[in-house]
Amino acid sequence: MKERLRQLSRLELLDPLFGGWRRLPHGLRSAVPAVVVIALAIAYPYYVSSLPTDVPVILAFPDVGASVTIVVFVIMAVGLNIVVGYAGLLDLGYVAFYAIGAYTAGWLASGQFEQVRFHFGSVGISSDQSGIHISVWLVLLCAALLTAVGGILIGLPTLRLRGDYLAIVTLGFGEIIPQFVRNADSIKGFDLTHGTFGISPIDSPGFGERLNRSLGLPVNYQSSFDRERLFFWTALGLLLLAVFVSFRLRDSRLGRAWIAIREDETAAGAMGIPLMRTKTWAYAIGAFFGGMAGAYIASFNSGAFPSQFQFNISVFLLCMVILGGMGSLWGVVIGGTILAWLNVEGLANIGSWVNAHTPLNVEVAKYQFGIYGIIIVLMMLFRPVGLIPERRRKRELEEGTPHGALDDPLYDHRTANEREETR
Amino acid sequence: MTTSPQDGALLTVEKVHTYYGSIEALKGITIEVHEGEIVTLIGANGAGKSTMLRSINGLNHPRRGSIVFRGKDITREPPHDVVRLGISQSPEGRKLFPRMSVLENLEMGAFQRRDRSELRSDLERVYALFPRLSERKQQRAGTLSGGEQQMVAIGRALMAHPKLLLLDEPSMGLAPIFVERVFETIVEINQQGTTILLVEQNAMMALDVASRGYVLETGTVALADDAKALLRNEQVRKTYLGETD
Repeated sequence: MKERLRQLSRLELLDPLFGGWRRLPHGLRSAVPAVVVIALAIAYPYYVSSLPTDVPVILAFPDVGASVTIVVFVIMAVGLNIVVGYAGLLDLGYVAFYAIGAYTAGWLASGQFEQVRFHFGSVGISSDQSGIHISVWLVLLCAALLTAVGGILIGLPTLRLRGDYLAIVTLGFGEIIPQFVRNADSIKGFDLTHGTFGISPIDSPGFGERLNRSLGLPVNYQSSFDRERLFFWTALGLLLLAVFVSFRLRDSRLGRAWIAIREDETAAGAMGIPLMRTKTWAYAIGAFFGGMAGAYIASFNSGAFPSQFQFNISVFLLCMVILGGMGSLWGVVIGGTILAWLNVEGLANIGSWVNAHTPLNVEVAKYQFGIYGIIIVLMMLFRPVGLIPERRRKRELEEGTPHGALDDPLYDHRTANEREETR
Repeated sequence: MTTSPQDGALLTVEKVHTYYGSIEALKGITIEVHEGEIVTLIGANGAGKSTMLRSINGLNHPRRGSIVFRGKDITREPPHDVVRLGISQSPEGRKLFPRMSVLENLEMGAFQRRDRSELRSDLERVYALFPRLSERKQQRAGTLSGGEQQMVAIGRALMAHPKLLLLDEPSMGLAPIFVERVFETIVEINQQGTTILLVEQNAMMALDVASRGYVLETGTVALADDAKALLRNEQVRKTYLGETD
């Protein structure tokens, strides 16, 4: 995008516009788009109602409630990007982390375990209610940590595998976890997950009476008039956290090791990078954000149900990462937003627009996975590195075939004489 | 398993058997490398030269036998610990990180090191050995020529500040002019105080720079002698130096 602006600024006509921009220090310049996007996102609940509702094709912009779900999916995409984009480990079972997070919220912040009564910092729950009710803030952290441990446990046996084999095994785990929660309603008589009914209701976050009085923070999201806005802003905060951590990790020693493994695992090993440990960290940190997002959306939906954790969620998240550009944070956020929006309401909107303006009568949303498939195929054909490619991949695309490989082949089988002749 | 350090030996490989699945690639090989030497392993394809290096640096642990480095048994150490103990490798086929810059590649070689202060001087040492790399430090490694890539591979291994440098076929696929440069550099690195274990197909050049050599044949040591003696050895001349009667 900066490149683009710089190209534009070469046009003399636009110089008055971009001349000042160019004189800004580089650090400031690269921060400007981020600040603008974040500001627009934070202010979204204030101007969404004044946005037009008759936009061609897409009809309307998502309301605040739908936006919460979108942002939570983007958090998961950012988490998956650490595994797939940075470390290059194809994970087809990320939904397992989502499920572990959601169910942790169900266990630690609901009436699921009626045998016990444990309250800790919860809001809006009368103290005689049974079950475990821990403050949702703490539950988010617990869920993230527990899921990270889950990631390590899944990773230890599987990360020895490479490429396709790893993908197949993660696919298996992505199926096992939802099957498990669907059937774990009577482990020797103990109801862990409430089977197909799922766990509901799940507590809501909030700051309690005391912080409300002193700082004016909301007591309890659930009972607030601004429920959806509060959930939206908090989700944005969590997304910013995930993005910030990803940025810092990418430029860290660990991040460099991930990229080395992605580039050439054997060479990375020979350089002294501990492969298992490094890959397991990618899994654990990716799982951390998956679990956090899962717990948060469970709190927002006030429930965790086995039907939420289908294989297609894993594929859907992977599509977000591929569409945006593997390893590129900006790309994943934008790709994730587009696909999550399509999923939540975009396809339905597009469908009704198509039906209203053409003689066709199709239920576009029914073909969602066909449509995602077409998007991915088109991306692979026309922009294989994603909407906003990662810096490294972008350079490769621009520089084209390595010239060295052509004029100085790696394996030169000709004899010295033959080489002389061609000179 | 004996772990007693032998006199003066930096690395002692004793009766090592290494397998790929059920295939025995090394059938009881014993070699020794002394401090300050250049030792070369020569032999045909499949003789076990690269497997020997993989056994030493922990990428492929031997099933039997022992490997002792500076008095410490490293037979079962994982690669990252072997690197930390002072053995680094420029692998066969170079194996660079193609999308990383030259500088980033060199930095990856120093991954196991914590002494950030000395990194600077090691980087300068690599740039002094290969001035080309200093000119191209921001270029992506995948776009370098074969010879330059080999420089990065050797430089990257040096960034680990090894006591023992393992070089796997550094002359492979290079134009003759580069081959000569590579061998000159190997001697230079050795004179700066790094012991080198060199695996080569180019037996003539390898024996020319080495102090001692081992000739491997189908997983066993066929011959072991001073490099000069091997150069004169009739069998070696016929088999590996392409001499006819």
